[in-house]
Amino acid sequence: MAFVKAQKTKAYFKRFQVPFKRRREGKTDYRARIRLINQDKNKYNTPKYRFVVRISNTDITAQIISANIAGDMVLASAYSHELPHYGLEVGLTNYAAAYCTGLLLGRRVLKMLEIDDEYQGNVEATGEDYSVEPTDTRRPFRALLDVGLIRTTTGNNVFGALKGALDAGLDIPHSDKRFAGFSKDSKQLDAEVHRKYIYGGHVAAYMRTLMEDEPEKYQAHFSEYIKRGIEPDNMEALYKKVHAAIRADPAAKKSEKEPPKQHKRFNLKKLTYEERKAKLIERLHTLNAAAGVDSEEED
Amino acid sequence: MPAGHGLRCRTRDLFARPFRKKGYIPLSTYLRTYKIGDYVDIKVNGAVHKGMPHKFYHGRTGRVWNVTKRAIGVEVNKQVGNRIIRKRIHVRVEHVQPSRCAEEFKLRKLKNDQLKAEAKAKGEVISTKRQPEGPKPGFMVEGATLETVTPIPYDVVNDLKGGY
Repeated sequence: MAFVKAQKTKAYFKRFQVPFKRRREGKTDYRARIRLINQDKNKYNTPKYRFVVRISNTDITAQIISANIAGDMVLASAYSHELPHYGLEVGLTNYAAAYCTGLLLGRRVLKMLEIDDEYQGNVEATGEDYSVEPTDTRRPFRALLDVGLIRTTTGNNVFGALKGALDAGLDIPHSDKRFAGFSKDSKQLDAEVHRKYIYGGHVAAYMRTLMEDEPEKYQAHFSEYIKRGIEPDNMEALYKKVHAAIRADPAAKKSEKEPPKQHKRFNLKKLTYEERKAKLIERLHTLNAAAGVDSEEED
Repeated sequence: MPAGHGLRCRTRDLFARPFRKKGYIPLSTYLRTYKIGDYVDIKVNGAVHKGMPHKFYHGRTGRVWNVTKRAIGVEVNKQVGNRIIRKRIHVRVEHVQPSRCAEEFKLRKLKNDQLKAEAKAKGEVISTKRQPEGPKPGFMVEGATLETVTPIPYDVVNDLKGGY
């Protein structure tokens, strides 16, 4: 179609104001970020920590981050792909895994700051709303939940991670309105239902219904669970073991990585500024020498 | 209608955001810390309506005398009649930038302390005072050829040859 009037003229582009880079990428909500980062000026350089939870299709990332002009600094991080070390190998993005990741991060941070003996948190996960009590000697570690761009609906896995961190002993201001098991009608958190979710009860229930009604779908959907012999009845025991393992040793494990392979170069390597200047001086010298020879020949 | 004299009168352009810089303000303004005694420039950010100073203070530099939760107390000089008053205002941090007026002084202070420490270690006496630029030193003029110019006697015939 040749004669369509151009919608985006040169004038349009000249006046166009680009949003911030992370807004263009759709990764940061600046309205929320300003409110999370803003520290009281009369607290000067005291860092304000955010408990950041981000869930991808196959992984859960939980980090404690403080903001800096040069760039945000991560104090500690925990990923759900670390959970195989503690005995959990499947279902790494469900509510129970989020709880484990939050618990792992919380214990890791407390151990790093050496207050893990003082603040044990809630050792037995009951699903009730638990807030840390400050002891006499040191105040608990305070962080603010940063959910990012997700829609905060009741029962979102992000709040599973929050519950894990709370039970670990971190001080995160929260309300129980968005935990799994909160009923809108009675405006109360049903601790039993929440406890079921923390121990993978909802996954186990689905496994049971599939086993009865559609065994082939059960085989296809939960093949990894079946391979490892995880039955709906022993899910709770499995998660209890994982929690205990996390509390026993929350330290991060460094993995051995071989140095990256050297690949053959197909294009020229870019020269540095000094190399380019040196080349130019050489060229000028040869030019001058040649010109000198020419003028001598002319004379 | 008579001209108004409201608080923000005549600030249509002064408080306007610059071209293509509208919207959210970069977060480094919120992350800066200010201590009492620092020098700050006041530059109003029209996007934030709270804690705005009066338009007189836009472009002034002052010292910090108070730090509160979201704002800073700045002491600015204002000429009122025949005297200068030190006015104390409170401004939100979005309208304040750290001033570089004292930067050169601070760097010089550090360097002088370092030089004095070195001299003390060596046992010699140095003066760290700044000296004004004096007159240039004397020099010999090189490569000058002398050309003597003398007047020539007036020659009527030659001069009138052109236009007579």
